[in-house]
Amino acid sequence: MEKKRILEEGLLEQYLTGDLPIDEQLMVEKALVEDADLKAQFDQLEADFEKMALEQAIVPPSRVKSNLVDSIENTVPLKTNRSPLWIAASFAVLFGLATYWMYIQWQNAEENFDSLQQQTANLQERLEALENDYAVTTSQLKDINGPNVVPMVLYGNQKLPNAKLVAYVDHNRKIVIVNSQGLPELPVTKTYQMWSDVDGEMINMGTLAPNQELIPLKYIEKAESLNITIEPVGGNDHPTVEDLISAIPL
Amino acid sequence: MGADLADIQLINRLIEGDNDALYQLYDKYSGALYGVVLRMCQNEAEAQDLLQETFVKIWSSITQYDASKGRFYTWAYRIARNTTLNSLRSKKNLIQNDDLGVYVNETEENQQDFSLLKGSLKKLEPHHQKAIALVYYQGYTHKEAHEVMGVPLGTFKSYVRQALKQLRKTYANELVWLWCIFETIA
Repeated sequence: MEKKRILEEGLLEQYLTGDLPIDEQLMVEKALVEDADLKAQFDQLEADFEKMALEQAIVPPSRVKSNLVDSIENTVPLKTNRSPLWIAASFAVLFGLATYWMYIQWQNAEENFDSLQQQTANLQERLEALENDYAVTTSQLKDINGPNVVPMVLYGNQKLPNAKLVAYVDHNRKIVIVNSQGLPELPVTKTYQMWSDVDGEMINMGTLAPNQELIPLKYIEKAESLNITIEPVGGNDHPTVEDLISAIPL
Repeated sequence: MGADLADIQLINRLIEGDNDALYQLYDKYSGALYGVVLRMCQNEAEAQDLLQETFVKIWSSITQYDASKGRFYTWAYRIARNTTLNSLRSKKNLIQNDDLGVYVNETEENQQDFSLLKGSLKKLEPHHQKAIALVYYQGYTHKEAHEVMGVPLGTFKSYVRQALKQLRKTYANELVWLWCIFETIA
């Protein structure tokens, strides 16, 4: 039984630090979901681990926080992409509902007139917000549908045969956008990361979460191929070649 | 039990773009993470850079954190540990490939030993202390650490388990003492 093996071999302690190979991590995560007693033991282990860490804490100098604040406030975050179809559908449905609702209100005429004005103003604000979202979505659609965009499909190798990722590369505008919906879920300690091969050197393009429709990544000049590896959470400075799951020449 | 509710609220704010939530997480956990990073790399300037890099990674990857799979500190610890190991590996390559002088200067600079543990860990038996230090504060995997200690892997794993069990007892006793003091005062 998995639980017995996990406890006897001390796999929870190794899972905590992210030391286990991917197959064993997935096995532990599955067991934690299915077995409340095992989950309680892991919760206790995490609580003790955190208590120990707080006891061993060393206060860093205040300049580290100042540097962090400068670094964060001067970085433009990557905007989370929303599903264009979802937004377009929401827009249409909301507009339809709003029109119907306005028709009903009109039939009640004057007694509701004041309230109708108020509601219309609110609705207008929501429509404007949706129009803004729609403009963002349209711009993203243009990014992936432009005449110079080259769509590519990266299939997983024998390590992850079910994996699939679609990349849209525009060399003219120096844009790379990927759809990661075809990548399987990974253990919590791992992430996907993309790399460009430039003269034999792998250059980091960014990390990827699965199930995302449009993720903008760094465009790398003179890239000869696109590659995906599985790396520790937060990403790696250098690719773990033995965990390469897909590659495609450009 | 699992993830801390206050942490989850901060994380939700952070996901919505409120950077102040990150700075509150920093205030709460930077000491614990700095304790890990500094003990691993043994160099204050480098540890400070790595701590900053860790929190930038936390900020940029926060949507990947899944509270149902564990506490925020555990997730942040893994990022800090991987970031530090990456940096140490790059440095090791530099020393081996390019400039042997770097190694000499470094040992001269790092006179202070940051690896010392404190508090309840000091009450553990020496072999238990060492097992915890190797795995949680020096970045060794269990497979590497048992070789460093010169004991079989199974024995090493039981050292870690016994040490954590002992720590749990110590923390529980501390709570009982605190309760007794509180009752006496009240």
